[in-house]
Amino acid sequence: MTDAEDTLTEIISKALLLDKSELTDDLKRGDYEPWDSMAHLTLISEIENEFGIFFEDDEVVDIWTVADIRSLLSKKISS
Amino acid sequence: MSGTDDQVDEILKSVRESPTYLSFWSAYKRIQRLSPKPSENASLRASIAIIGSSTLEPLAACFDVKMRLEGFHPHTFVGGFNTYHQEAMNKTSELYKAEPNIIVLAVDAWSLLDQKFLSNYPLMSSKSRSAAIKELVNSITAIAEVLEKNSAALILVNNFIVPTFSPLGVADNKQKLGFKKFFRRANRLLEEKLESASNVFVVDLDSVASDFGKSRTVNWNTYYRGSIPFSEEFTPIVADEYMRYFRALKGLTKKCIVLDLDNTLWGGIIGEDGIEGIKLGPTSPGLEYVEFQRALLSLYNRGVILAVNSKNNFDDAIKVLREHPHQILKEEHFAALRINWQNKVANIAELAKEINIGLDSIVFIDDNPAEREQIRQIYPEVMVVDLPKNPHLYRATLEKIDVFDVLSLTKEDMARGEMYVGKRKREELEQSSTSIEDFLRTLELKVQVKLTDDFDTPRVVQLLGKTNQFNLTTRRYTDAETKSLRDAEESAVYSMAVQDKFGDEGVVGVAIVRKEKMSWMVDSFLMSCRVIGRSVETAFLAKIIADAKTAGAKRVIGEYIQTKKNAPAADFYEHHGFAKQKESGDGAIWMLDLAHGTVEVPDWIDLIEE
Repeated sequence: MTDAEDTLTEIISKALLLDKSELTDDLKRGDYEPWDSMAHLTLISEIENEFGIFFEDDEVVDIWTVADIRSLLSKKISS
Repeated sequence: MSGTDDQVDEILKSVRESPTYLSFWSAYKRIQRLSPKPSENASLRASIAIIGSSTLEPLAACFDVKMRLEGFHPHTFVGGFNTYHQEAMNKTSELYKAEPNIIVLAVDAWSLLDQKFLSNYPLMSSKSRSAAIKELVNSITAIAEVLEKNSAALILVNNFIVPTFSPLGVADNKQKLGFKKFFRRANRLLEEKLESASNVFVVDLDSVASDFGKSRTVNWNTYYRGSIPFSEEFTPIVADEYMRYFRALKGLTKKCIVLDLDNTLWGGIIGEDGIEGIKLGPTSPGLEYVEFQRALLSLYNRGVILAVNSKNNFDDAIKVLREHPHQILKEEHFAALRINWQNKVANIAELAKEINIGLDSIVFIDDNPAEREQIRQIYPEVMVVDLPKNPHLYRATLEKIDVFDVLSLTKEDMARGEMYVGKRKREELEQSSTSIEDFLRTLELKVQVKLTDDFDTPRVVQLLGKTNQFNLTTRRYTDAETKSLRDAEESAVYSMAVQDKFGDEGVVGVAIVRKEKMSWMVDSFLMSCRVIGRSVETAFLAKIIADAKTAGAKRVIGEYIQTKKNAPAADFYEHHGFAKQKESGDGAIWMLDLAHGTVEVPDWIDLIEE
């Protein structure tokens, strides 16, 4: 795992109140109760702050799973 | 310890390792999900509420976890978005249910101002600008007053962050009421209107924001997405400011700074460089030490005790304190000195004993990391300051530690330094006297006992809040509770002031009695440790007993509740002829039958009655 991936895992697990080992890529907003609007907001802005990027409103709404976050972030960092 | 407590400890450990906003937030949410039971120890429980005009859960989370990091078990209430008005007005609202110790009122100026305020400001007359200030401030103070009336909590009201932008540009302060002045004026008016409300404090958020950097106080993404008023970095800083009030409320204030000398109060080593060689004077190198000493003197002048702990030849070091032309702190500013070759751990224990304060009231400042580490290991309760290597930063470090906060500064605080000089002289006299009575007789003691009035109530509340040793029941009453005991007919609050030929100690004793027809119950009786050993407590008790007799009571009932610290008061009632009525695990009830017994004022004390 790269440093960036590790940092991302750390952020997601803290924002979603999980241990790193409990985090899975198919964890889904809507199915998992602690992933509420406040957790989502925290998650998005922590990733923005850490990686110096900005998520458009549409992108924020379209993030549903942990896998969505990973793919969107790698797209943003590589572009 | 239950499994839940272990889990909470584990979560807090991870916050200590990485104290970022995300860690605070995550810890708060995880602890809430565990819903730990409140502590059985009442002094560790705390109830706080944060209400206001925006999404305040992030701020509440940081405040909550910071209290937990200091060992408290808070219950935290977060108000709804812009529902503070209803929460404050409705006496049965959730806000009041948990009987908060602290209520934070965090209202953003922009939530109260007209939507057109910014756009129209350049067009507004100074009269309408002025009216808008009053309206803005009144809407805050009105809520603060309701909160004060409906609860016994300490109310913390955020002031307004003065904007850095003005539509009027550089001509802003050429206008009678420029845009920035609008907010500055509002802040001044807010402070003025709340100055006399003893349970309401205006938190200088504007100053905290300036220090942090105003452009970084808001994250505009979370502001627009979720109405979160402060950025991730700034939120814990605001919580730190609230913690200052919380610590003051809980009596966790530090009282004394113990200082090293070489390379701390001056540059260089006196034993090697000599009095002419050390760095101390009006230009740098030397000025940084002078200014550090001036900052220390400012704290001394408001009641912080200073002491010296230095490895040196006494004669070399004392000569600097007595004779160096640029030395700011003189010998008389120090309540006690340990200048010797003993280790500093032993010295600091002796200093605490001599000054009569707990090690947990001491802040230790020393440039030597090895000395600091030793103190830290042996006495973890002493606060050890990580003094930077660079002496240019000493003063800034001192001004940042913020551990001397008290909720009101009394005249006793201001004169504390002189009292310690009196204490030293008294001790010299005691050593030269042949008997203790002989010594007390030469002191010319005067004790004034009176019913508390508005003038001395702040000091009485302060003593109730912080006296540990000579305190019979250790009941901590708030300002509001003390006033209601004072004003009720069935109770009375007495204060005792003491002076002798070496100085005026001011108000140093408090007693609260609950009056029934046949008996007076002494609910609280306490005295500052500063005056222990002069029998003034006997004079104080004698006056209360005389009043009970005058009122027709047949007996006086006293109570002793044991704590970790109040052993010096354990024998108080027995010594004064009371008979034990009942004994329980942590204390006893005592009684004096006024038909057969009484307490006389010692003949070396002049009791002044009102």
